[in-house]
Amino acid sequence: MSPARRVALALPAGLLAIGLFVASAHAASLVKIGALKLTSSAPLFIGVDKGFFKEFGIEPELVFFQAAAPIATALATGQIDVGATGVTAALYNIVLGGEQIWLVADKGREWPGYPLTGIVVQKELYDGGLRSIADLKGKRIGITTLGSTFHYSLGNILEKSGLKLEDVRVVPLQTMPAAIEALKGKQVDAIMLPQPFPGTAEAQGFGKILFWAGDLHPWQTVAVFFSKKFAADRQRAVAFMKGYVKASRYYYDAVLVQKDGRPAPGANYDDVVRITARYTEARPEVIRLGFPFQDRNARLLVMDIERQMKWWTDNGFMKRTIPLKGIVDTSFVEEAAKAVPEK
Amino acid sequence: MAVERVAAHDRAAFLRRADHRLLRVGALVGLLVLWEALTRVGWIPALFLPSPLGVIRELGEMAASGQLLVHLEASLRRLLLGFAFGAVAGVAVGVVTGFFSRAEAVGQPLIAATFPIPKIALLPLLILWLGLGEPSKVAVIALGVFFPMAINTYAGVREADPLLVRAAVAFGAGRWSVIRKVILPSALPMIFAGLKLGAGTALLLLVAAEMIAADSGIGFLVLHAGNIMDTTKLMVGIVCLSLLGVLSHWLLTRGERLAVPWRHTS
Repeated sequence: MSPARRVALALPAGLLAIGLFVASAHAASLVKIGALKLTSSAPLFIGVDKGFFKEFGIEPELVFFQAAAPIATALATGQIDVGATGVTAALYNIVLGGEQIWLVADKGREWPGYPLTGIVVQKELYDGGLRSIADLKGKRIGITTLGSTFHYSLGNILEKSGLKLEDVRVVPLQTMPAAIEALKGKQVDAIMLPQPFPGTAEAQGFGKILFWAGDLHPWQTVAVFFSKKFAADRQRAVAFMKGYVKASRYYYDAVLVQKDGRPAPGANYDDVVRITARYTEARPEVIRLGFPFQDRNARLLVMDIERQMKWWTDNGFMKRTIPLKGIVDTSFVEEAAKAVPEK
Repeated sequence: MAVERVAAHDRAAFLRRADHRLLRVGALVGLLVLWEALTRVGWIPALFLPSPLGVIRELGEMAASGQLLVHLEASLRRLLLGFAFGAVAGVAVGVVTGFFSRAEAVGQPLIAATFPIPKIALLPLLILWLGLGEPSKVAVIALGVFFPMAINTYAGVREADPLLVRAAVAFGAGRWSVIRKVILPSALPMIFAGLKLGAGTALLLLVAAEMIAADSGIGFLVLHAGNIMDTTKLMVGIVCLSLLGVLSHWLLTRGERLAVPWRHTS
């Protein structure tokens, strides 16, 4: 087949797919929330489970996805109203491509003292004296995909140690289970994955956690996004955010408070573990390994968004940066944080 | 007596197939123009379906920056190596099993048993054996090319005209001479059919292999562009794959005309 004829076949298929997207966008009056079954979605699970969204007149519906990138696509096409996932190069490129998505609230950060993503090295290499980031020079490091949050995190950590991304061999393995298998099978020297994978690798003895990413480079990793249509529906969008702020405070007070660098579980700790375990379908022991940090009032680290776009652009993943006011809208969270009373 | 001439109506006229060259070109160009127009007007978001001109512009930029060359080079190297290994091994096995009855008895059941395995399914195993680097990618392409080559060569050898073989023997040709001068040439059309089949399979396996743990190549480019939602780059990758397919088919057709001048196919 000639190239043009292939294109000719692709066009009707593409039009049909877009038609389906548009058709499904008008389905419901309830708020559809796209999320992953990960610990970092805990505040959303709390909001749904404790009825915080309903309190402000919002009927939430959780829609689960397998990976971060499809959530951004579903938001851009209006299949879901709210998305909660990693801030990736794909998300920025969607906005750059002309489809509006708003970054509105915090949903998890790499943060010192809070284990989220770990750099795990092969046990033999660790025993052989590999102890620092500088020792990773020339090594093969497995991540899920290029342009993922892990890629960003790794690049920044390397730069802080005076290395560049080109000094290591980044191996994209597509899925988290594939990455852990590659470490086990010694096809990579190190991997970068979120909990519970690092804990599992150490427990099974083939890996050793070298560092937690947040201790080396804190950043706004996961965020809440609004679709263009939902953001324009101001009243409902603010009502949703009120429920989210309330859930965030509940989450923060229960699992994030620390005293002298040690976690100081709040009164609702077990409740949050129970809810998170139920929605992620993971065992409570795994959930207890650690909760990602986020702001108590779900406020975004706005300056970090600008830094991220600059880094993606410098490394050739984005054509140019987007002006902050074209992608970030903090007015929802500010309005909600003022309106929701402290108990 | 005057003979009256009557123009006979050709009732089979509707069976005649005119070429309609203009219509063929027009359909292609018309579609591209329509597509470009639809994206220009904004009916189709450029993010989901980049405009043809945008794709061409991106292709130019990537070619100018040398980025495209890196990916093309990596893919071509894997394709050529895998294709060469697979084709040579396939022809050798095909000739041997076609010519020697003992080799046929051993080889045919083995080939029949392993041929139906989708080669993509073997990729994880090959990665375990050969690692994440180049060898596993080349190996899976070679495997994909080997089977159509071996099967077609075998069939070609078996179909060699016994009369010609006997004639050659009658003129004093030895075993090796018969293979080289009679059997191989008469199997050539089948071998080329196998090469064309193998070329399609090779391209498919190349993309599959490059989508697992590669950091260069057209398959990687397509996957990576999809991962970061750079749809224009993604389309550039698809166009390149399409061109690679067209090019390999053209080259093989050309090669066939040179090697089998007595039989003009397609």
